[in-house]
Amino acid sequence: MDETGRGGVIAIAAKRSSSAPGGLRQSARRSPNAQSGRRSANTMPKGLSSVVRVLPSDSSECHLGSFIDYTVNGLVVGNIYALLAVGLALIFGVANLINFAHGSVYTIGAYIGWACITCLHTPLPVTMLIVIAACGLVGVIIERVGLRPLQGSARIAPLLATIGISFVLDQLVQLVFSPDPRALPSELPNWQIAIGGGTIGALDILIAGIGLLSAAVLFAFLRFTKLGWAVRATAQDREAALQMGVDVNAVNSAVFAVASALGGLSGLLVGMYYNHIDPAMSFQATLKGVVAQVIGGVGNVPGAIAGSLVLGLIESYGIALLGTTYRNLFAFVLLIAILVWRPNGLFGGRAGTQAEPLTGTFIAPSRPLRVPRPALWMLVALAAALPLAIPSPYVLQTLTNAWLAAMLALSLTLMAGTAGQISLGHAALLSIGAYASALLALDLNVPTLLSVLAAGVVTGALGTLLIFPAFRLRGHYIAIATLAIGEIVGLVILNWESLTRGAIGVTGIPPLSVFGQDIYSAQAVYWLCLAVVIGLALLQMRLLGSHFGRTLRAIRDDDVAARCYGISLDRYKALAFAFGGFGAGISGAITAHLFSYLNYETFNSQVSLSALAIVILGGMGNVLGAIVGAVALVGLPEIFRVTTEYRVLIYGIALLLLIRFRPQGLLGTV
Amino acid sequence: MKAPPSETATRDPLLRLAGINTFYGAVQVHFDVSIEIGAGRIVCLLGGNASGKSTAMKVILGLVRPRSGSIWFDGEPIHGVPTQEIIRRGIASVPEARRLFPAMTVRENLLMGAYARSDKRRVAEDQARVLDLFPRVGERLNQRAGTLSGGEQQMVAMARALMSRPRLICMDEPTMGLSPLFVDRVLDLISAINRQGTTVFMVEQNASLALQVAHHAYVLQTGRIVLEGPARALLHDARIREAYLGGEVAA
Repeated sequence: MDETGRGGVIAIAAKRSSSAPGGLRQSARRSPNAQSGRRSANTMPKGLSSVVRVLPSDSSECHLGSFIDYTVNGLVVGNIYALLAVGLALIFGVANLINFAHGSVYTIGAYIGWACITCLHTPLPVTMLIVIAACGLVGVIIERVGLRPLQGSARIAPLLATIGISFVLDQLVQLVFSPDPRALPSELPNWQIAIGGGTIGALDILIAGIGLLSAAVLFAFLRFTKLGWAVRATAQDREAALQMGVDVNAVNSAVFAVASALGGLSGLLVGMYYNHIDPAMSFQATLKGVVAQVIGGVGNVPGAIAGSLVLGLIESYGIALLGTTYRNLFAFVLLIAILVWRPNGLFGGRAGTQAEPLTGTFIAPSRPLRVPRPALWMLVALAAALPLAIPSPYVLQTLTNAWLAAMLALSLTLMAGTAGQISLGHAALLSIGAYASALLALDLNVPTLLSVLAAGVVTGALGTLLIFPAFRLRGHYIAIATLAIGEIVGLVILNWESLTRGAIGVTGIPPLSVFGQDIYSAQAVYWLCLAVVIGLALLQMRLLGSHFGRTLRAIRDDDVAARCYGISLDRYKALAFAFGGFGAGISGAITAHLFSYLNYETFNSQVSLSALAIVILGGMGNVLGAIVGAVALVGLPEIFRVTTEYRVLIYGIALLLLIRFRPQGLLGTV
Repeated sequence: MKAPPSETATRDPLLRLAGINTFYGAVQVHFDVSIEIGAGRIVCLLGGNASGKSTAMKVILGLVRPRSGSIWFDGEPIHGVPTQEIIRRGIASVPEARRLFPAMTVRENLLMGAYARSDKRRVAEDQARVLDLFPRVGERLNQRAGTLSGGEQQMVAMARALMSRPRLICMDEPTMGLSPLFVDRVLDLISAINRQGTTVFMVEQNASLALQVAHHAYVLQTGRIVLEGPARALLHDARIREAYLGGEVAA
């Protein structure tokens, strides 16, 4: 992904800027020496995530004034999260769905606002109305195109569809507005009120006002209007609402419109607050909304608002104590802690509000395609002989990438497909493996072949240990938890500078070598990767045919029944994750040695999601399918020389079409 | 579409299912099921587990689409009509296991029953009328529905159905899971509702209870109507026992 290279450079630049003498204090818009009162866009790192970059303030600044500043900042950011989280909660209520496309709507809102303000020069109220209307419409389209056709299909299908939609929308924004960040001027008078040494500006008040107003309007809507009643009734019992004469589809549509309008507004306000927008802000926004929602209790609207404010404050105080690169770490560690200890959220304790939102299998029932054994060996022979027939290094490198992706897909198809533990943070395993092998080779001079193997073991162990707290979760919650754990791994790598070299990344990783012989040629690398893929695939097939594979499928299909037969869920899930982690770790390790450069974003969330697309394309749980899917989604676009932006667009559309028309994938689920 | 079996009904029934064949995926649930519900009567559909009786109610409400067959309400076809429109035309439902909106108050639940109506004043009148019938519900108006006992919830569910001023109420196992005391109360109330002019179609597993209040009954066995007749006659029919025990029935 070219994303990674660019991301790395930006991260380094950001690092430098913030470590410059007299580095910017908390969102520099509060810093007295910033002319415009807001920070300029060129020092802006990407995403909502890291937009506020701070150094731990020196002691002289740790007085009441900065405390108030941090509190105001936390509340304002909390308000922005609330606009997002409320929408997610509403959608979760009526559609029983975590809408992963929500951040995309937020980004669209920000860009529409930017277009209005800088091109059409509309006044702020008009801009807001346009953003609300346009994003509401986008919401209706998302519901109509992506979700309504999926009624009655596997319950995870709409969640995957929203991931696909977010791919598509994000890429469309990039194609229309270019991936470059933009400045979004706020047009507000630049006055500030000083309170006890801290300051509150016009924009702070505007954002707080919009947050309060939205909450009040939403409350009135839900409590006093007929449609609002229908929304609540649908959220509590969809089928009963239907039997009262509620047009549930219209309710869904309305909820998506309201949620998306609020999400878009949030994007606009964020853009104004930081004077910065870029297409990469979408994913982080979704995550923050989800975190805020989980804190408040999934699907709970007042809880979402409270959770958002809590999240905003905790992040802001956390930044004050440790610095901005820790912001997301706070958010995600908090998320995991809440999922583990209070899965109903801090404010969702009351009985009757929480049912298990998603249980059982998300596997589309199908009969897997049987490929005769001789045909399989023929394919293997063909793949092995390919470098002799087509010595083009370009083709071989492309296929090598496909084999590396296949290793990851094998691991994911085991966990998500066979064991039913959907993982949205799988790229973290690649990161762990890559860092383990690179650091072993660089710092301890371990021969690379050994270091790759060790990386596999380390990844298996560490991955299992990290996911262990999430073993008791199911359905949507495990998807959220794996996503968060994936982010946490990246953030720990970013912040643990003494071990990982932080944002700068690891350079000069030695190439692969076998018994002292460096492997440079494309052919040799190709053969090595092919051999590893075949080895892992054979091992996995063997496992699936054994007692172990049967047990995993039993857990996937009905974990309660499995437990009743004396199966220890934790042990089998741990074994699955250990084995899966081993394969993914080896893939990451080999990649590190091939790239020779590595940073915390080399394997980002996009890698996780494309792995998911590969696995669904091949057929969940299907070993051969994972390999075929990897070749199809990684190899083919490369061979046809599709540029990266369009490639992600293709992933998104492929995911959507698959979920809609062939949820069992090409080769069928196992 | 097959013609309905000619019945010796004196007038057109309020609801008629004719030649219904329903499938869940590849599994056939109903085989040529035909049911007639005369206006002003209590008709019950009896059957054991997995006989397809709850699905019959879902077919009427438009929640499940039959593959073939037709459904007529008051002389108009309602197969293929969306559920909300069917409700609007005058059919109300008391779903299986009551299915109240647990986080809403009893009052809000009642008003949800009148969701399909827009005449606010008449809704208020009907609420008073319904509360006369269910005084117990009136005492609980501001309580969250999820906090009521099973029997009270059943009352609220029936009251909620009446709020739409329906001509036909469909009830799915109204006595399920209730204490014997409440079972009698619920049966009395079903008769009372019917006496006020509302036609009742109830799906029941407990044949002897249902036949006490019903006028007419059908017996469904693995998707086929195997027996029908006046409730009084069926109450003493040995074949009822056979049908429930799964014995051979020469219908």
